[in-house]
Amino acid sequence: SSHEHKLNFKKSKEVCLSYIQDAMLQKQWKRAAEFLTFYAESLEKDFSTQYMGPSEMIWRIGTEILCHHSHSSMKEFNSFTEQMKTLGVKRYLKVCLEHAFHLLCNGLIDEAYQNLSLAESWRFGEQTAIQDKEMKLIQAYRGLLDYYSWSKQKTILLEHGQDGFEDLSVEQEMHSCFRKAAVNLKEIIKIPGVWDLFVKCYVDLLEFYGDHNEARQVLNEYAYNSKFPANPNAHVYLYQFLKRHGESKKSLISALKILHDIVPSHELMIDFNTMLQKSKKRKKRRLGLEVIFAALDYAGWKENVKAWSCLARQVKQIVISEKHLDWIKQEWNSRKDWWPAFHFSRYLAKRNWQENESLSYEKALVAGILLGKDCKYFKYVSHQGCKAQVKRFRILKKFVNKHNPVYLRISG
Amino acid sequence: MEFPAALFPSYFGAGPPREEGGPAPAAGWGEHGQVLEAGPGRRQAGTAFVPRRGGTGESWEPADAAAVPFLPPNAGCWVPSLAPQDILYRGVLRRKLRAGKSGAALDFAKQLGHFFVDHPEDAFGSLGRLLHKNFYLGNSKLRREARGSTIRMTALMEEIDRLEARRGCPRQHLASRLRWFSHLCRDWLFEVPLGLLADCVHEELLLQWAGLLFDDSPTGGALAWLPPEDMGARTGRLVYPGGQAMNHLYFQDVVLEELPRARGSPAQFELNGRIRQVAAARVDGEDFVGVRSDYHCGVWRVPGRTGAAPTALQVIRTCVPASCLTVSPHLPGELAVCTQSGAIYLWSVETGLQRLRHDPQTMFFRDPSSWRWSDFTAHPRVLSCADRTGLQCLDARAPERCHFDLFKVGEEAGCQQGERVVLPMYLGRAHPSQHLVTTQFSMYVLDERLPLVPVLKWAHMMKAPPLFAHLTPGGPGRSHKVLLGASPTQELLLLQYRGGSRSACQLAGPPQKLHSVAGCLQHLPAQLPHRHRLLQQRLGAPAAGLAAALQEDGPRESLLVFQLSEAGDVFCQRLTHKAAQPPAPTSGDEGTAAPGSSPLFDAPASSPPGLGSEDEEEEQTFYLSNLEVIINEEEEEEEEAGTPAAPEEAELPQEPCASPQPSPAVPSPAAALRYRRWLKALSKGCGEPPRHAWPPTLSQKRLFTRKELEAPAGASALHEQARQQLCQAMREGGRIQRWDPPAPQPPALPEPAEGPDPLSARLTAAWSGDWCQWWEERTSFNMAQRQRALRERRRRQKRARGRRSLSASFTSSLTYQSELSELSDGAPPPLSPGCPAALPREGSPPGGTPPASPAPHEEALLSSQSLRCRGIPKERRKTLRDYLAVWAEGPPEPPEPPGSQASQLCIPSSQSQLSSASQPRRKRPRMGF
Repeated sequence: SSHEHKLNFKKSKEVCLSYIQDAMLQKQWKRAAEFLTFYAESLEKDFSTQYMGPSEMIWRIGTEILCHHSHSSMKEFNSFTEQMKTLGVKRYLKVCLEHAFHLLCNGLIDEAYQNLSLAESWRFGEQTAIQDKEMKLIQAYRGLLDYYSWSKQKTILLEHGQDGFEDLSVEQEMHSCFRKAAVNLKEIIKIPGVWDLFVKCYVDLLEFYGDHNEARQVLNEYAYNSKFPANPNAHVYLYQFLKRHGESKKSLISALKILHDIVPSHELMIDFNTMLQKSKKRKKRRLGLEVIFAALDYAGWKENVKAWSCLARQVKQIVISEKHLDWIKQEWNSRKDWWPAFHFSRYLAKRNWQENESLSYEKALVAGILLGKDCKYFKYVSHQGCKAQVKRFRILKKFVNKHNPVYLRISG
Repeated sequence: MEFPAALFPSYFGAGPPREEGGPAPAAGWGEHGQVLEAGPGRRQAGTAFVPRRGGTGESWEPADAAAVPFLPPNAGCWVPSLAPQDILYRGVLRRKLRAGKSGAALDFAKQLGHFFVDHPEDAFGSLGRLLHKNFYLGNSKLRREARGSTIRMTALMEEIDRLEARRGCPRQHLASRLRWFSHLCRDWLFEVPLGLLADCVHEELLLQWAGLLFDDSPTGGALAWLPPEDMGARTGRLVYPGGQAMNHLYFQDVVLEELPRARGSPAQFELNGRIRQVAAARVDGEDFVGVRSDYHCGVWRVPGRTGAAPTALQVIRTCVPASCLTVSPHLPGELAVCTQSGAIYLWSVETGLQRLRHDPQTMFFRDPSSWRWSDFTAHPRVLSCADRTGLQCLDARAPERCHFDLFKVGEEAGCQQGERVVLPMYLGRAHPSQHLVTTQFSMYVLDERLPLVPVLKWAHMMKAPPLFAHLTPGGPGRSHKVLLGASPTQELLLLQYRGGSRSACQLAGPPQKLHSVAGCLQHLPAQLPHRHRLLQQRLGAPAAGLAAALQEDGPRESLLVFQLSEAGDVFCQRLTHKAAQPPAPTSGDEGTAAPGSSPLFDAPASSPPGLGSEDEEEEQTFYLSNLEVIINEEEEEEEEAGTPAAPEEAELPQEPCASPQPSPAVPSPAAALRYRRWLKALSKGCGEPPRHAWPPTLSQKRLFTRKELEAPAGASALHEQARQQLCQAMREGGRIQRWDPPAPQPPALPEPAEGPDPLSARLTAAWSGDWCQWWEERTSFNMAQRQRALRERRRRQKRARGRRSLSASFTSSLTYQSELSELSDGAPPPLSPGCPAALPREGSPPGGTPPASPAPHEEALLSSQSLRCRGIPKERRKTLRDYLAVWAEGPPEPPEPPGSQASQLCIPSSQSQLSSASQPRRKRPRMGF
């Protein structure tokens, strides 16, 4: 009966698919390709109302096989993809986009550009939300490629400009590239998302043509619009922009303060700390101490000599001046129950001393002040340092011994 | 702690997931996702792009054809966990129910029935006692005066029996008497109110069913690898559970070699419950191992140096089952514990428990699951906590105030509808701020610094949700290896990704499937069908844990993957990095000892009930006091309807034409040796099912379907004969001793006097699968030799009896008896009803007569004359005499021809012979008076 036939067909389709899957997961691309030729038959009787129909599966599997098969060429890949584009209307844009990605990754920028332009001009009835998104991405990537050709021409022009030779056609072409790129890039970065690449390029374009206000607005929007994800890069780009344009310390600090609030472990926190330490305002210096303490809370900073020397320097300053010891005390209060085990264990003292002497020096200084001269870390490192006849360790020992009462005040 | 200068583009939406969908078989293939400029500063020289997925990864090739057993099989017989057919309706009703709607129908009535039968005291105890006087169980008529207050139950029982016999008959009607009785007894007969009991049973059934659909208790896995302190050393430790109840914790030293090898005996701890999860982390050169069972969590410290003994530090008890235990990679002796009540604790060995959160509700939207998980993050005081709807991070110093959402099942991460978190894991060893989250559809890599937006997403296409994950971090410039494992399907997937600090995260290379434990079945020596089935079941046990060890041996690098099964078996496989050439697999196929045996030889009596072909037949078991009645229904309609009965089984293709599997590589000789050893240990440990004292009763329908019993078209004469013999034996209710046809006997060969020759005995043993045992018996203690020795001793005693007291001879015969019963090789003492062999003979005088001499005809048989006229050479006569004498004491049936030893091995008849042998002897002392 036809019902039975249908069932058998479905069953054998599933079995075939599982063979393909099995072969692919074992990197047997040739075997998978053989089975895929059988599976193509399933297109003829596609009764499925499933979420992912056989045509999409064939596209996905075929693409994957062609990417890894030892005998496949770009020509074959292109012809396969062209066929796949005709298989499903719903998936046309997605296949186009993926095709362009493949071309880009293989260095075929021009072909990718053609593909994207072609896809951009495609129209078919009403677009679904997903298709809309895909279309925007296609446009954005085309804009990105326009930007690259703009920047190429810019380089040519600048080089030639140095020779005192001007080429009008190149300049015109460059401007048209700029316009095409700017329009598309501007579109996508309005939509909430992670658009690091597009934002960077768009800002570069704007800056070149001197539209600093627009650039600043774009960056502000990208960093502070609450609909966008809390992307640390958005703040970094803004900070870098402000720095490039020689903005005031205050605005730089406020940009970094926000970055500190969302990602206390960001690598820019070192810069932030140095900036704050140099400040004359007490409040800022206080913030600097907070920033460096917070950064060193994170496992990723554990062995960062720069960060430890920042902390050591500031702590040393405070101890010598004997002012604001309460700052240290406050920071230490929330950490004294776990920093000793996290940073200042005997095991770490041994390892730091063996692997990185200057790290152990900075850490020993901090440990000596925060935990006193009897702390395991300080004792071990200073002992080893003195044994190795390194001068700075002897000075360190003297310093900590001299300022031991500070420890009592901090811990008390 | 660098952050990538640019991330891959992605949309960011908020709200519930919009994408509809479900498991899509090929969803993970063929996509690049997005592309990103390869590196800054190369813009001028032609821009290069890198894809988010589809880049090249490292090549890790499996070194062997299948997973290899690493440890001997776990002690004790593994009782397979609950299967759907145990609690689902089978039979007529199922078909009816299935016709109506799709979905499973729980067999509620059967379970309730089981309760009444298994616990009658609890169900009807006190009322039964109260009504004792009013129920009459005899056959005679009731006396008149009693008739007023007593019911005669016998008739009722008969009625019930008749009802059972008519089961399945469409015209069955309840007898009026039964209806009357059930109406009368409906409410008050049950000790436990029926409604309440039914509620409880139903609830439990639903729980069990939910557990069958998805069991989250082993989440995280119960296997941990503690690497050696310096990478050059080759001895690490494997921590795994074992024992029959999986409640023993083992710390085993392991030497990493071509095939890893256990060194010394493991440190062992007996715990108070089944071990669900073993988690480990290394802090300051010491390993901390957390162990979770349902109501207890414990922590052990293992010093870094090899050989140092692990010490238990602390145990906590929870009132609600714990669902998670993770060990801090930052601070020694800190762990995170979650319970199913929705509580999350930070557990420090020094300061005790600190409750961070207690919320029975899920975080982002309502989900009924009470599963919670917690792990550590880049900040030692910040813990991630997860339920099925997502992940949050909370600061242990101020858990109420300071928290942020790390992952949400929703549009933010581009999830599908119905997607749920299955396993979160902190990937701190790869990058301090990375986390892995797996769902039933996809795997995500998250960065704490960019919450809610996954830096990597890939549809893993696994058939079961990945409950286990393992990370092997790669050094600078190398990819990180992530292993994902699923429990019921034993799937194991290797993924590689790179990036996170300088460059954005990318998946590297295609995913790779690793060998499953069940896959090694085809490389094991061929087994008898019933053993094969047992083995299949054992090897197919759901996975329970996953661990991996990276072994660097100069330029050679390899990854050893350990797998733990629910039965407690640990298997391993090696993956070699491409730089190293894998050893070419040699063709050393010594493992195939016995050919596949014919189904006729699958001795019916030796296969335990319950292992019959249950896929084709259905069984329903009704309990009637002590009698077990098995009613079978063949499902022929099923086949006609064309709907697959058992999906897993039915989908396994059997077509010989297609080549679904590439011809499997042959395991290396070392692996083959391991297989054989493992198999031997397994068959020794729990090969033989416990024998019942009484001959097993089996319904014949169970053994053969009606189709099988039908005469096939072109059956051979031998077939026909066997069939007749079988039918006859069934009619008579007897046993088939020999299969070889009796009629066309070859012309009387001189019967070998002394057993079969070694070669044929060996072949016979191999045929029945007992080759190993045969070899052992052969080498250590030859059965016949022992018997001969005993016989010799007895003869000597006989000669000396004149000089000995009667009592002494009595005892000697007693010892002989017990020795003989010992000889029956592991069989329990024969318990033929009414005449236990080893019973002291009460009633016989202390000085019983000596054992009687053999019966006259035996005497004649054993006389040298008779042996000579049978053409038996002189030197063999004595041996034969000895041999025959063993059996001679039995009932006057002729001694077994030695050639039929094979059938003896198949059918446990030696036991019954022994027991019957003891029968006449018991009487003999009396006969002497």
